[in-house]
Amino acid sequence: MNKGFAIDCIGYALFAVFVVLIIPWLANYSGYDLNVYARYLVLGMAAAAVALSWGTAGILNLGQALTFGIGSYIMAMHLKLKASEAQAGGMPDFMGWTNMEELPWFWEPFQSVSFTLAAGILIPVAIASLIGGFMFRGRITGVFVAIITLSLMLAVQLWIISEQRFTGGQNGLTGLAALELFGWSVDVYGLAFYYMVAGCLLVVLTLALLFLRSKAGLVLRAIRADPERTRFFGYDVSTYEVVAFATSAGIAGIAGMLYAMILGFASPTYMGLSLSLAFVIWAAVGGRESIVAATLGGIGVNMAEGRLSDLFFDQWTLILGVIFIVVVLFLPRGLFGLVMDLRIKLESHFMANPISRMNTSLDKHRSETTASQREGK
Amino acid sequence: MKRRDLLKGVAFAGVAGATGLGGFPGIWTGRNAAWAAGSDIPVGVLFSKTGAVAVVESTLHDACMMAIEEINDNGGINGRKIRPFVEDPASDPATFADRANRLVRRDKVVSIFGSYTSSSRQAVLPVVEGQNNLYWYPTLYEGRECSRNVMYGGAVPNQQQQDFVPWLKEKFGGRFYLLGNNYVYPREENNVARKILKGIGGEVVNEEYVPMGHDSFSSIVSKLRRDKPDVIFCTLVGDSDVAFQREYHNAGLDPKTMPVASLTRSEIEVKAIGGEAAAGHFSSAPYFMGYQSAENKKFVEAYLKKYGQDQVTHFVNEAAYSQVYQFKNAVERIGSGELKPSAIRDAAVGQRFMAPQGEIEIADNLHSYLWPKIGQWQADGQAKVLVDSKSRMAPEPYWAYEGQECTAEGLQKS
Amino acid sequence: MHSWLNEIFIGLSLTSILLMVALGLAIIYGTMGVINLAHGQFVMIGAYVAWFLQSQFGIGIIVGLPLIFIAGALLGLAVERTIIQRLYTRPLDTILATWGIGIVLEQLVRGLFGSDSRYVARPEFLDGNLILAGVHMSYYRLFIIGFALLTLAVTWFLLFRTEFGTKLRAVIQNKEISECYGVSANRVYAVTFAYGAGLAAIAGALITPMVSVTPTMGTGVVVDAFLVVIVGGVGSIVGTAAAALMIGEATAWLSYLLSETTARILILLGVIVLIRFRPQGLFPDKVRR
Repeated sequence: MNKGFAIDCIGYALFAVFVVLIIPWLANYSGYDLNVYARYLVLGMAAAAVALSWGTAGILNLGQALTFGIGSYIMAMHLKLKASEAQAGGMPDFMGWTNMEELPWFWEPFQSVSFTLAAGILIPVAIASLIGGFMFRGRITGVFVAIITLSLMLAVQLWIISEQRFTGGQNGLTGLAALELFGWSVDVYGLAFYYMVAGCLLVVLTLALLFLRSKAGLVLRAIRADPERTRFFGYDVSTYEVVAFATSAGIAGIAGMLYAMILGFASPTYMGLSLSLAFVIWAAVGGRESIVAATLGGIGVNMAEGRLSDLFFDQWTLILGVIFIVVVLFLPRGLFGLVMDLRIKLESHFMANPISRMNTSLDKHRSETTASQREGK
Repeated sequence: MKRRDLLKGVAFAGVAGATGLGGFPGIWTGRNAAWAAGSDIPVGVLFSKTGAVAVVESTLHDACMMAIEEINDNGGINGRKIRPFVEDPASDPATFADRANRLVRRDKVVSIFGSYTSSSRQAVLPVVEGQNNLYWYPTLYEGRECSRNVMYGGAVPNQQQQDFVPWLKEKFGGRFYLLGNNYVYPREENNVARKILKGIGGEVVNEEYVPMGHDSFSSIVSKLRRDKPDVIFCTLVGDSDVAFQREYHNAGLDPKTMPVASLTRSEIEVKAIGGEAAAGHFSSAPYFMGYQSAENKKFVEAYLKKYGQDQVTHFVNEAAYSQVYQFKNAVERIGSGELKPSAIRDAAVGQRFMAPQGEIEIADNLHSYLWPKIGQWQADGQAKVLVDSKSRMAPEPYWAYEGQECTAEGLQKS
Repeated sequence: MHSWLNEIFIGLSLTSILLMVALGLAIIYGTMGVINLAHGQFVMIGAYVAWFLQSQFGIGIIVGLPLIFIAGALLGLAVERTIIQRLYTRPLDTILATWGIGIVLEQLVRGLFGSDSRYVARPEFLDGNLILAGVHMSYYRLFIIGFALLTLAVTWFLLFRTEFGTKLRAVIQNKEISECYGVSANRVYAVTFAYGAGLAAIAGALITPMVSVTPTMGTGVVVDAFLVVIVGGVGSIVGTAAAALMIGEATAWLSYLLSETTARILILLGVIVLIRFRPQGLFPDKVRR
């Protein structure tokens, strides 16, 4: 295909090498560090989900943690049931404490692994489709989308905290068993589990790339640039927006399922305000226009956080805050933008063939637009 | 001292930006290398310095560090110093789990001292149980847990309520309004309170839970005016407790006829409420700052001298302080044997320690025998101890659940 | 009979607090489209200034209000000049930057004053309750209601009866053309931002006798303020007031009839529906944006 695709492929290949070879080496193939990096990869995946709807279609979802959290609860429900097999009626302990007589009907199906895995993707997708349809059919955009998604997340979080007998309340679902897949009992500190997470991430990113490179992706970018004009061309803008919104919810759901496994519990903080905003920040730091860059943003910020909290145990949040401000001020397109600007500079020096010059000038035009916006012209 | 930390932090921000973001293995090897002193005893200190719970947890951190310093200044344990590995889990359960993991698996600590909320303890549990480490948890909690990897230093419901609820009924009447934040601890305490009330002929006129951090209580106050309970049985925590008590006071309700009886309110909340607004209300706790004993005098003086005259001690940081000494006694008992968490646990059981609240003892179910007291708050922000229990009260974490008991072999069901 | 009058009063009291907190945000958002997630931290700083004045110099909240306003405004000005100024063309990015600012402010306060929860006394002459037709109205809450109305009136006067207000409205309507007429949009923005931050600080000071003053107290505030601003409609202070009234009364009634948690959930869902069907707000601003 075209040159942009080739560049994407190179980026993907480098990323795959990083995830598959370099990180395990950094972690000395040891249990603790591998587990930590697996967590970073999962958080990177959540940032990718944000970038998919924000960077591509311009939908800023401040409630991305909602679907992430739902994914984590779905996985935790299955693992909790597994851990409770010895209990009376197979009921999780916290239900007995709140005087429940029997397992609620909506817990039943989560006995099955395959149902759980499917539900962890499909339920977030279904919820996002409903909300997305509700919002986008009404041509809601920009900050209104942000507020609606945020409010919904907070409402669901409150509900989960208050319905302790079904959800474990503020403590969340704790005391989980290990997942068993085809007779393999997953050890979240093992190399195998790390590769499972890495595999999930790479597959998700590849599928997302194919999606974005398809015609749907093109239309979404058109919507980001100008929804009205796209509508005049006869495209059903809201349907495309719903699709992007739901896809990103599905990705967040997968990430949530893995997250619950890694930490060994699901907590209402997984669908909290600060985590949700953090996803958006990571995507912005990496670069919202590219999902790989956003993923790297998620991984990178968390690596930095881990390191900073080691060095400055009581001021690391301050330092992170400063870093975010600096990134937003000076790197409006994130680290990805920085890399692209460099590439353009290099190319205009070394390339001479007309097609690439045309591409370059297009890219250049785009970066100049951003630059002039930056200066407020 | 805190200001200096801040400036240091700011000054190092630039350096951190460079080292933190660089991806070279050499920089990622952790601080073990720098701290490779062989004979020290590594322990984790895991209290939030930032985030919503920092108000309380930073005082637990302070008390815990003070005990460690005292022990080290007096020659350590069997000639070995305690080496604290300090982490800030930022009041977030996921961060708690991550930092606990770091302490246990990377820093190889033999015990962790940490945390205030139930949710953070639950987050740390899989880590310490998975690695058979030991978690010293100083906070009062809802009971109904029987881990062999947690040393529960705070009160469980039966220790706070067995004497308190009948006493309240006798003095004020049996119509209780149960008010708490919406999470497991208040719900469980209220379960127990209902059970006790049923036994002594009291009743519950209303039971209400507000979201964590909720701070507008006008509607609750008008419900109180409507229901006219004899006692407001309160398990609000932190900011909610402060906002509620100030609202109560502003509204002109009278502690003589409708007192607030709290299981969670300590000197630290009263400081924020203001002594005047808290005066006349009651708390049940094993320790109050104003308790008269030689050990407490020493503890309070040392604490105020170290952290400032405007600070307070309270029943959770007293336990955080005592637990370090219990740890010390256990390690001393092991002597030259191998220092591993399970050995520390076994050596700790049955230990007695002269704590500021009185002589406490670690039960074989790893909870603590404590000295419950009933205090009435005064306008100066201190509690006057009205009732002091006559004997050490045994911890029964499954008190409200018939046929279940927490023993040295874990949870027993009959 | 008494109880519903009581709830109306409680609702009004909640409204006044919401309005105080949201007004500054509404002005900033309405004027420059900046989504200031650090607004909660400005409120927190106001509370800390009130505490500092009282504990160090014995200056009560009410006497201290001008100082608190100035402190908040100066901080707002500093933040605007150094950071926000560069982001006027990227409104969604301000969400991120101001979130970072919020973290930094919170950590700075924590570094300077510690994590302790601080106590601020209520002015003594506002102790006690007015009991009218069986309704208990604390004088302090009555005072806040009055003060909120006053602030609303002052802000309205500033916008519609002063030269600065005229310039401000001109900039909102068309920045380029107003600049052609010699209005310095940058200066207007800076003053507006400072004013909004000052209002936030005052709001923070006024709520200190009712809540506990901690570095994290701002986090919850900002969400509520935002809901009010968006529901009210961009750039309409009447809309903001109406939205505050609606949310305040609904909170009071639903909490009384159901429970605090259910009330909160219902309000959030109600806000979602409102925004979906009236994204322009209750009283939309008629001008071209």
